[in-house]
Formats: sequence, structure tokens, C-alpha cells
Amino acid sequence: MPVSSYLALAAILFSVGLYGVLTKRNAVIVLFCIELMLNAVNINLVAFSKYGLYANQTGQVFTLFTMTVAAAEAAVGVAILLAIYRNRNTVNADRYNSMKG
Amino acid sequence: MEKYFLDYDWTVLAPELIIVAAAALLSIIDLFLKEKNDRHWLHWVAIVAVITAGVFVFRQWGGAPAEILLDTYRVDDFALTFKLILLAGTALVLLASYRDDGPKEARGEYTYLLLTALLGGMLLTSSADLITLFIGLELLSLSSYILAGIRKKRLASNEAAWKYVVLGSVSTAFILYGMSFVYGLAGTTHLYTAQQRLVEAYNGGYESFVLLSLFLMLLGFGFKVASAPFHMWAPDVYQGSPTPVTSFLAVVSKTAAFAFILRMLLSLYLFLVQTGPWTELVGPALLTLAAASMILGNMAALRQLRTKRLLAYSAIAQAGYMLVPVATLTGALMFESTVYYLMAYLFMTLGAFTVVMQVERDSGREGIEAFAGLSRRSPWMAAAMTVFLLSLAGIPITGGFFGKFYILFHSVTAEAYWIAAVMLATTVVSYFYYFGIIRMMYFRPAMDGTKVRISVTAGAVVLVSLAGTLLLGFFPQWLLDHLGNLDWIQGFQPIHGPVEQ
Repeated sequence: MPVSSYLALAAILFSVGLYGVLTKRNAVIVLFCIELMLNAVNINLVAFSKYGLYANQTGQVFTLFTMTVAAAEAAVGVAILLAIYRNRNTVNADRYNSMKG
Repeated sequence: MEKYFLDYDWTVLAPELIIVAAAALLSIIDLFLKEKNDRHWLHWVAIVAVITAGVFVFRQWGGAPAEILLDTYRVDDFALTFKLILLAGTALVLLASYRDDGPKEARGEYTYLLLTALLGGMLLTSSADLITLFIGLELLSLSSYILAGIRKKRLASNEAAWKYVVLGSVSTAFILYGMSFVYGLAGTTHLYTAQQRLVEAYNGGYESFVLLSLFLMLLGFGFKVASAPFHMWAPDVYQGSPTPVTSFLAVVSKTAAFAFILRMLLSLYLFLVQTGPWTELVGPALLTLAAASMILGNMAALRQLRTKRLLAYSAIAQAGYMLVPVATLTGALMFESTVYYLMAYLFMTLGAFTVVMQVERDSGREGIEAFAGLSRRSPWMAAAMTVFLLSLAGIPITGGFFGKFYILFHSVTAEAYWIAAVMLATTVVSYFYYFGIIRMMYFRPAMDGTKVRISVTAGAVVLVSLAGTLLLGFFPQWLLDHLGNLDWIQGFQPIHGPVEQ
């Protein structure tokens, strides 16, 4: 079944992204890793729209929506990162730790 | 049949259209206003819009279900009930923060971002299609990320927004990943067509993929409602965000997330109840989430000395209580107990946060020591806060008591005795920290004797919340009967039969 190789690729990409979000210190890389996770979903959707149980165009339309939303999400993420950088002067996400308990 | 844009019955969408128009109007007005102009009146525009939308929703409530845009968007009792809660919550938050000094540098943005977040929540409750559902979820989430960081000069607010955007996006990715598998198995994004095709896929040898999609979405949902073990973001975000935003996140975002999971679970995966995996796998998983949230939330709240952080952990525990009805589907009061608790939760949480807002601003302190001697400084405010805390703790003659009572009743009729036991035990634990604040107010000397200033609008919010909490406590049967008469099941069945694609 050709779809399984696409699914495997998407699963690997998703896991790499998740690993990066959880372990990376650089805040910019954390944002990239979130994009990786969302793009893994896109691969899944496009693969399913060609090889799914009921293959049709809807998956590609869905992908357009997720890409748009991912762009908006990245914009918001970078804006927040800029605001925090102005106050804290670092992109090291480990040091965003003023709240505890 | 070809359908044109104007053939649709747009009056069905009136509440959403009002909110869209108000948000668009406010953002344009805000652009054209000069920096030094007074922006307080923008609040009133937003409040009027929310109330008008509420009137429209109320008039549709209890009527026949309707669909629009090829059944991707539906207006049924389930959606309308949740929309009423969302609209009431937003109206009260807007009113409470009218004279707040908090987000003054971005008052215009604050107003219309609240409206767009509300719109996202409304889309979420009404959509019958994975794409619409996703767009609603993201509209709500993206607006809340910005709202959490709206005080851009304050480091705590920045950090809250950062943690929220990172963990929120991860949860979105999980939900989307789950949705992609639903699409793969069903070949459609339409919930009620997918409903039938998932059953076929399940019986056709794809059990593991059906369950995988469900669990991926549950994981993302766990983040969104801040249930343990996915609650790490909540305390920091609740503490760092401006208090009005915190109350919005606690009430409106959480209600919308519950609407999302109920719609999703009950329209797509209800067949798992008959075929078996529900009682073996899904039910226990949800119950574990619920029990973990109650235990972790209540335990962690015990050692908190900052008011907002304490309320954040209490909100995690409350999410645990609210998960019980959906986890024990077979009980007697599934929808009634969830909605009743959400309504009681709306009033008590918003009331408590509004009092916290006033006390914090007055004293400039974040700790619970700010409440010391409040009963002598502002006896009425202290009394109101006591009622809210008693309700959160689940003491009789408050809404919170009956909310918990119905959930307990529901779980016992579903024969889930251990979760009822966990619920009772953790409720007793929660008395310690809620009473800690009450003790502060009544038995500690005040640091200064002046009265706490409270604006008229915030006072009105406290009064409304107080009335709501007490009414739900005195006349629970009235609301329960009303909720029992609504047609809940309709929300999980197609209106016109399956759509061929």
C-alpha cells in the first residue's frame, strides 16, 4: 500500500517536530519545530487525498486551510517572541522562567 | 442542486454576523482614533454587540435545528446552549474590565480581540465540518495568545503569551494530526458523513487508525482544557496574563473546548460505545484524565500563596470535575450535568476573578495576603467573595454544590463509583485552600483600613455573578428541567441524512 510510506514520513516529521519543541533551547527553533509538526499533517492530508480509503480533493483544500492558519500562527509566535526579546534580551527559552511554583 | 450565495437563510447566522461586524468596525475605528483619544466607549460598542447577539441566540434557542452552507455549519440546541454561556462570559468579562487599568496601552486591541476569540468559540460550537471546526479553534486560540501578552511591556505577560503560543500550537498540531486520520478513513471532512464511514472503516480492519485519531485529538483537547497531565502551561499563563484575560481563558476558552470535544466524540466516535472499545479504553482514559486533574490540581493548589496561581490550579481541578460526565456516558444526566456545571462555573469563576482584580489593583500585591482584613475594609465584597469560594468548593445553597451533585449523581448512575469517590475526596481537600482565602478575609488584621475601590461596572459584574451563583443554588430544578427539555440528541445526527460527496 503506497500510502504507508507517506504516513511513515509524516509520523517521523511529526515526532522530530515534537522532540524539537520539547528539547530545543532556542526560541526561534521551537517555532520552526511547531511548523514541522503542522507540515507533517499536510503530508498526511495530501497523501490521503490521493491514496485514502475514499480519495478525493477535500484533503488538498484542507491543506490550504492549515497552511494559512500555520502562517498566522507563526506570525503571532514571532510577534510574541519579539515582545519578550525586548524585555528579556535573550532568545534562550530556558531563561523565560520568571514564574514558578 | 446548485445553491447560490443569497439562497442561504443568513438569519440563522445573525449572532455570528453581528460579532464579525462589531469586531471589524472596532478594529477600523481603533486605527483611525488618535493615540490620546479616549477608547473606553469602544467597550460599550462591544458589550452592545455581544448582548444583541445573545438576544438572537436566545430567540433561536429551543427551536428546530437549522443548517447553512451545505451543512458545514449548524444551529441546534447543543450549539445554542454553549453559545449562550460563551456570550454571557464575554459580556461579563468586558463589563468587569471596563475601568481596568490593566491593558490600557492596547485597549482597542483588547476589545476586538475578545470579540474575535468569542467568534472562534461560537464557530467551534456550531460547526459540523472538520475544517470549520479547525478554523474556529484557531481563531479562538490565536486571539487568546495575543490577549495573554497584551501588556507588552510586562515580562510576566510576555512569558505567559510565549508559553501559551508554544503549547497551544503543539496541541493544535495534535488535534490536526488526529483530524487528518479521520479524513483519511472517511474521505470527507463532514462530521455526519464521516460518522457512517468511520463505522465502516472500523469494521473493515482499521480499528487501530480509528482509535489513533481519537487519542490524538483527546491529547490536544487535554491541553486545551488544561487537564492533568497536560496542564503545565495553565498556572504560568493564568498568573502572567492580565486578570480579565485570565478570567476569559478560564471560562470562555474552557467552555468552547468542552463544546468541541462533546461534538467530536459524540458525533464521530459514539459507535465505539456499542462495539466495545469505549468501556475498555476510551472511558477509562477519560476517567484517568479527570482523576489526575482533580488530584493534581487540588494538591498543587494547597501550597500556592499567589491568588491567581491558586485559582489556576483550582481551574485545573474544575476541568477534572467537568470531564466526569463525558467519561461516563451511560449515566442519566450527561448533558444536563455538564451544562449545569459550566453555567455555575461561569458565575463563580468570573465573580471570584472580578473581586481578585479589584483587590489586586488596590493593594498592588499578587499574594493572598492582599485579602487580609477585607471583611472590615469592604464587607460586601468580602461576603460576595465568600459565596464564590464556597461555590467553587461545592458547599450547599450555591450553584457549585448542585453542579457537583448532578455530576456525582450522573457518575453513580453510570456505576463509576471510584471516580465519585475521588471527586468527594478531592473536594474535601479543596476546602483547605478555599477556606485559606476566607480565613484571610475574616480573621487577619487589615494592612490599612481604607475601603477597596470598585468601579460601578465591576460591581455590577460581582452582583450578577452573585445572583447567578445563588439562584442556581436555590432553584436548581428550574434550570435542570429547562435543560432536560432541550433536544440534545439532534446535535449528533445529520439533519438531511448523509451528504453524498
